[in-house]
Amino acid sequence: MIDLIIVGAGLTGLFAANLAAELGASVCLVARGRGGLSLSHGCIAVLDRAQPLRALDRLPATHPYKLVGKQSLKQSAKAFSRMMRAEALPYRGRLSHSLPLLQASGQSTWVNLAPPSLGQAHGPLVGIASIEGFRDFAPQMLAQALRAKEGYHVRVIQLPLPHPFRELYASDLAARFDVPQWCSETLRLWKPFVRGLDTLILPAILGLRRHLHVFHLIQEHFGCAVLEIPTLPPSLPGLRLERALRLRAKRLGVRFIEGSAAIGRAEVRSGKARVAGVQLQSAGGPRSLSSQAILLATGGTMHGGLAALHAGRMRESVFGYPIEVQPERSSWTAASPFSPQPYAMAGLCVNTCMHPLDPAGEPLFHNLYAAGGVIAGSDRVYQGSRQGIDLATAYRAMQSIMEDSHH
Amino acid sequence: MPRLSTELLIIGGGATGLGIAWDACLRGFKVVLIEQNDIGQGTSGRYHGLLHSGARYAVTAPSLARECAQENAILRRIASAAIEDTGGYFLATPADPLYFPDRWLKACKQASLQVEEVEVAELLRREPRLSPRISRAFRVQDASMDSFDLLHILRRAILEAGGHVLLRHRLVGFIHRGGTLVAAEIEDLMTASPLCISFELAINAGGPWAAHIANFAAVHLPLALGKGTMVAMASRPVHSVLNRCRPPSDGDIIVPVGSVSVLGTTDIPVSDPRDLQIQDHEVDALLAEAEMLLPGITHARALRAWAGIRPLLAPPVDAGAPETRSLGRAHAILDHEALDGPGGIISVVGGKLTTFRLMAQECLDVVCERFGRSVQCSTSTTALEPADRRFFALPMRHRRLAHREPGNHASDLICECEFVQQGDIHRALAADPPQTLDDLRRDLRIGMGPCQAGFCAFRTADIMAPVLSQPAQELAAFLHERWKGLRPVAWGKTLQQMEFIRRLYAELLGFSQPPSGSR
Repeated sequence: MIDLIIVGAGLTGLFAANLAAELGASVCLVARGRGGLSLSHGCIAVLDRAQPLRALDRLPATHPYKLVGKQSLKQSAKAFSRMMRAEALPYRGRLSHSLPLLQASGQSTWVNLAPPSLGQAHGPLVGIASIEGFRDFAPQMLAQALRAKEGYHVRVIQLPLPHPFRELYASDLAARFDVPQWCSETLRLWKPFVRGLDTLILPAILGLRRHLHVFHLIQEHFGCAVLEIPTLPPSLPGLRLERALRLRAKRLGVRFIEGSAAIGRAEVRSGKARVAGVQLQSAGGPRSLSSQAILLATGGTMHGGLAALHAGRMRESVFGYPIEVQPERSSWTAASPFSPQPYAMAGLCVNTCMHPLDPAGEPLFHNLYAAGGVIAGSDRVYQGSRQGIDLATAYRAMQSIMEDSHH
Repeated sequence: MPRLSTELLIIGGGATGLGIAWDACLRGFKVVLIEQNDIGQGTSGRYHGLLHSGARYAVTAPSLARECAQENAILRRIASAAIEDTGGYFLATPADPLYFPDRWLKACKQASLQVEEVEVAELLRREPRLSPRISRAFRVQDASMDSFDLLHILRRAILEAGGHVLLRHRLVGFIHRGGTLVAAEIEDLMTASPLCISFELAINAGGPWAAHIANFAAVHLPLALGKGTMVAMASRPVHSVLNRCRPPSDGDIIVPVGSVSVLGTTDIPVSDPRDLQIQDHEVDALLAEAEMLLPGITHARALRAWAGIRPLLAPPVDAGAPETRSLGRAHAILDHEALDGPGGIISVVGGKLTTFRLMAQECLDVVCERFGRSVQCSTSTTALEPADRRFFALPMRHRRLAHREPGNHASDLICECEFVQQGDIHRALAADPPQTLDDLRRDLRIGMGPCQAGFCAFRTADIMAPVLSQPAQELAAFLHERWKGLRPVAWGKTLQQMEFIRRLYAELLGFSQPPSGSR
């Protein structure tokens, strides 16, 4: 029998799978979709604050950070950094003091761990690349925003491509940068346009497989700093992170079953209710998988971990467990997309061991755990806390799973 | 103060005002039309998309039914670019009164409408998503009409015929001379500058704002405003317009328009034309009624919801000429001077989008009489051809994708849902003064497809950046505006889409709430 089934292939599920496999557990990761990393800026943000650890104490008691504790958050970040170093995708930064991450809007957000190609632009002379035929980056809009800031002298630089392409996505360009010949041809072509800059701002397209190499090469070649900015999806910094975590998990022996929805199975054994495994809705018919424990890393309303129903109800998708929400749908959303959204706070209530709880506050099952977006208590978009919560809750859940399995 | 002078000043840029301006241009009048917002921002743009066959009114308003049938035939000829001939059905379900179909059928025959009973089994073969519990089915001459397309074609026709259309110009008062209105004080809302337009006759075509406009002329216009809510489903489960075969009521129509289906409508009395708030129960009622025709539709994705305000004339103002205007009639042309009011102004109120041309014709007949000119109406025989067909209908936009020149980025798709190309945006920007993203949406349908601005708004804002002072704030304001129509249907896949949009813009791309009052 498998030790652990993880449902979900986002940051939470992949990170948890790596942690468990490192500890020698037999892990099967099942997922219906691809997870959310293609929508990610690829950094680890704890809170949209310059010093997030100081702000943690003021969060409400039901917030995931409060449940896992500061210690688990710090340990999770350490484990993450260690994994990324091992995968040759080193992240810099720390939890106590955040780094500004310049984004496509021209505004910056605070993140704590970031890959080397992301961060902020060093002036005063900044060039923003407008790449022929690439629609998913907004150089004009970014230039206007940067010009409004002090200390920048900004120009937009039109950069051609060696062959004409139509309607490229960031991943299409990255795949080309992964080809050494195409890459060097492009850099040669660009060189005359890129002169006398302190920083060249590019959309995040510099390769998927060997982007660190391309990143260093291009700085050497142009003699200036290069900054990547996350684009419309598929967002490369997120894909690079996903790729590293996936390859590592596979190397450590994690089994992946993807493309199938999972339905939870429970049973009563020696008078005690427990989860027995999942049934997979796979193409050839339903298939059962049994395990000692299950970790739900299925995400929130967007990824389908939570289903919001027309009837004014919400439920968890794998076990069908009802989630507490206001019955009036009009109260689920706020007037502005940029305000905190009540629906985003909904999810499974968990205890400090990441066991989902029933309304009386008792664990639903002693061998069921939840982490990441499926957990209640935070609007992660509004707070800028997504990846911090993913890592910390996955880490805490894994600690509990290991402790419980020893008993 | 800058001054303009014209023969006719038309106030209101909905189908009524534009229709009147077009007819007036064809009859040789000098015309200026003012609209306080953008074309399609009022009732005409907030519409379910039905070109009425008239059958809906066969029992309750036979004369309106006949008018609809005539206008339906005319519009199919003159405005074919905005119309899709979907055909339509009246369907009796177990929830509808048994007596109604026969009574309705008789009324349709009396009004000379083309109605034909069809075998339910045959209909179910053509439309397999329909409920098998439907007991009777009748084919009618309904079609779907895209009101944005219609309004844009009308505006072009007016401009080509020498008329002037001033958008974002609001009436602030009239100037009288001896009990007659002779000029209007206007504010240009884009530049906040005043403008004076002197006229020989003003025509109030303000729709739900008509009473407000009449107030400036010290005329009391008793309007009854009704809010109608509509839900667009992000799919087209049926080919044809579906009507419930029962007396007119909430949720009695489903119209396939473009790539969506519109469920309409509710009717709730309101006192203010700006009262467009949608309640959960209205959406629930529309879905519950649609379930009777299309079982399971509640589980399909709802794209968004919107509400429009119907302006109806409250009786008994019609008393002026009772012999020609029956009470059931949906529109009225009021010459205020003949009704003991001031001279120099006519109000046109009520009406259906289907009958906009007829209203304009009747209005211009009154105008010609006043000016002592005898020019015949020619709108029923003048084709409204869009100057650039590429702006219109989805299938045409799709077809042109096959003929793109390699290496020409003007034909790159910016909006992949509605097939809007980069060149379309550049052309739209060149044709009009600087616009907001929301104006471009009404011109090109940017942001109206399944992604609800997820991808296209970002790309478009960058293309518009040179003409916008703060493109990032304009983009955030546009997303805020789009969010309004998503909130009433925020569950299931729509809520997923909303969270996706938030995730893209607030988290991945770093946009934030624009300061209030910007834009």
